[in-house]
Amino acid sequence: MTATTYPATTTRPGRGPGAAGRAATRLAVRQVRRSALVVVALTVGMSTLVAATYASTVGDGLDAGSLAALARNPAVRTLFGEPAALDTAGGFTAWRTGTVLAVLLSVWGLLATTRITRGEEETGRWDLLLAGRLTPAGMLGRHLAVLVATLAGTGIALAAALTAAGTPVPGAALHATGLALVGAYAVATAALAAQVFPTRAGATAGTLALLGVALLARMVGDGVAPLGWLRWLPPYGPLALTRPYQDDRWAPLAVVAVTTVALAGAALALAGRRDVRDGLLRTTTGRPPRLRLLGSVEAFAVRRVLRPLAGWSAGIGAYFLLIGLLADSMTAFLTENPRFADLAAQAGFAGLGTVRGYAATLFALLAIPVGAFAAVRLAAFAAAETGGRLTLLQAGPNSRTRLLAAEAMTTAAGVAVLVTVAAVATWLGAVTVDADLSLRAALAGTWNVVPLALLSLGAAVLALGGGTRAVAALGMLPTAGGFLLEVLADSLAAPSWVSRLSPYAHLSAVPEAAPDQPAAAVMLALTGAALAIGAWGYRRRDLRP
Amino acid sequence: MATPAVRTEHLTKRYGSLLALDGLDLTVPTGEVFGFLGPNGAGKSTTIRLLLGLARPTAGRAWIFDTDAGDVAAHHRLAYVPADVALWPQLTGAETLELLAATGPGVDRAYRDELVDRFALDPSKPGRTYSTGNRQKVALIAAFATRAPLLVLDEPTSGLDPLMEREFRRAVRHARDRGQAVFLCSHQLAEVEAVCDRVAILRAGRLVDVAGVPELRRLHRTEVTARFTGPAPDLRGLAGVDVLAEDPELLRLTLTGPPAPALRALAAAEITALTVREPGLEEIFLDYYGEADR
Repeated sequence: MTATTYPATTTRPGRGPGAAGRAATRLAVRQVRRSALVVVALTVGMSTLVAATYASTVGDGLDAGSLAALARNPAVRTLFGEPAALDTAGGFTAWRTGTVLAVLLSVWGLLATTRITRGEEETGRWDLLLAGRLTPAGMLGRHLAVLVATLAGTGIALAAALTAAGTPVPGAALHATGLALVGAYAVATAALAAQVFPTRAGATAGTLALLGVALLARMVGDGVAPLGWLRWLPPYGPLALTRPYQDDRWAPLAVVAVTTVALAGAALALAGRRDVRDGLLRTTTGRPPRLRLLGSVEAFAVRRVLRPLAGWSAGIGAYFLLIGLLADSMTAFLTENPRFADLAAQAGFAGLGTVRGYAATLFALLAIPVGAFAAVRLAAFAAAETGGRLTLLQAGPNSRTRLLAAEAMTTAAGVAVLVTVAAVATWLGAVTVDADLSLRAALAGTWNVVPLALLSLGAAVLALGGGTRAVAALGMLPTAGGFLLEVLADSLAAPSWVSRLSPYAHLSAVPEAAPDQPAAAVMLALTGAALAIGAWGYRRRDLRP
Repeated sequence: MATPAVRTEHLTKRYGSLLALDGLDLTVPTGEVFGFLGPNGAGKSTTIRLLLGLARPTAGRAWIFDTDAGDVAAHHRLAYVPADVALWPQLTGAETLELLAATGPGVDRAYRDELVDRFALDPSKPGRTYSTGNRQKVALIAAFATRAPLLVLDEPTSGLDPLMEREFRRAVRHARDRGQAVFLCSHQLAEVEAVCDRVAILRAGRLVDVAGVPELRRLHRTEVTARFTGPAPDLRGLAGVDVLAEDPELLRLTLTGPPAPALRALAAAEITALTVREPGLEEIFLDYYGEADR
């Protein structure tokens, strides 16, 4: 054996007092850098694209009268926020991309936070680090600092890009700061939830629920004038109140900033006062067994999907109930203001003038969350494999094909449940406001996206069979990726074959139009092929860990 | 002859440029407790993953009772305890045992209840709250309760306290008495020595030796201490003899291989006392791996 001589410097415990802290910072950076790059690219790319193409897409087609009508319409305000300065490239960009980017940044912030703090703690990896010189609060602080710095960097890049695209500096700075603060708010909330809940899943679900309520508060506050005060509930409402490029109000952001600091401070204070790996909410130390749905691999797959499915159903149901409630006022507005219907058509939302067209347009969007559900379920299955939780089932007389089939079938059933929930919720909303939408039409519309959502399942199974870790990302490629591709291709007036690559281009607007059965058959066939190849790869490859 | 519980033929596994297992030929008959030893990274876990069909061999084959190890049908006749047991965090111990009973090769519920008592497991706790040792207990109880003809145990007692280790040995002996085969991979040499009929020693992906524990001892250094009066016996130049200490009236040496030449040389002297000590498995083990480093 050859002896290795280590340089003497590495045997000294650290180099100066901050060495341990810097190591923790580097660890946090390594854990978020890849997803952070994607988020920065999306934020800057989408905003720049919309701002740069403003002259060609909107131009001077908007007169004062139609703008005033838009600003008054409660349905428009509910879904997209209160419009401000739409006659400028900056104002239009902030309105058009603001809500989407705010949701993107906050969801990324929350998922990254619970993953690198509570998630790492849950696996026991922090035990090792906290046995060293770092304190729990120190670790948490370093990780939060990295996340907040990433968001600040995103904000600076966005402000620079919007300025470069020719929009006024004050508006660009305000809009970018607002979005970065929304992300920071989500990070701080998730950090606090990570002190309260003992599991990553609990902390994530708790924060998601809170953000969902905040988004709903923004929507209701924007749509219903007497409840306008709801928009002071951080983080989305105050962002809408800043009205960049028009009023340039900074005061609402102070509310978000102060709450963020308070939440982060509370998280840091609590981090040192609880046991590592425990939350303030203690889990029960024992309970009688619940033996239902443990009798077979298939039953167990159902048992594991029930709780997440309930969460997804609640979120999707609430959103589509709102869509149903808004059906009448939205379609009436677009019929009266054809210029906006044109704009919407350019953005991939044609036929918004009738209730059925409006519903069909929004049902097409349903493929994204339902596809995400399928991708995330398969990613959880991959995580169970990597985490060794599947090993004892795999060592039993359960073939890999059967384990995978149980998971895929349960997920497909979950997809069916979600589209049905969306249809029933939309119909209930529409019935409430006497809009012309039958349950049958709603079901036809939501079930029309099933082949597209199943493409996501196929892609995720393919990724799983290939043994890659990016199961969730690849799974979302056909739905979220396809939607993005179509919108980009339309906005950039790319050659038609580019947008035809997106499965979205082949989705017909049901219930307004008849379903495109050949396209659905092709999607189902592609899904079947992906499932078969994925299962073949899964059977042949080595299992982890 | 009865079908062996485990048989491998030139079993080889390569991970990129790393040869993790190099042409392993092994047979474990039914009813035998078979110890599988080797330092970290020797290829023990790779072998187990190949036997369970969790990894696919690069070359060679393995059979579990004449069923190809890659065929899940083989799992009807085996139960497994991994080195690092991961449980579903939301399931309690009782729920996990129920899941494994329903999806495994079968279960003897009365024996399972007895094992829960003997291993002093509290089955009402959720998986995430169990310590390493308790997770191991859950997997051990589930495996023993299957009464499967082959038990594959990878470091099953690394987290258990001595009392629980005693229960483990009892359960292994009980399994052997019922004719079950046990493939035991362990670093606890005292445990291997206590329960194993035969031992295989693996080094750097290759099989170094397979033998019964008594044979292994005989093959290895026996320590001999001789007291004598008068002139010292002359043992220089004898094959397999290594003189450790030479005092005026005392000689300590180690002996490898047949002892006859050394005994003849000793007989020439006036020996007043002679002690012969067989090496422990630990010494044998260190002998094998110590050599590798030199």
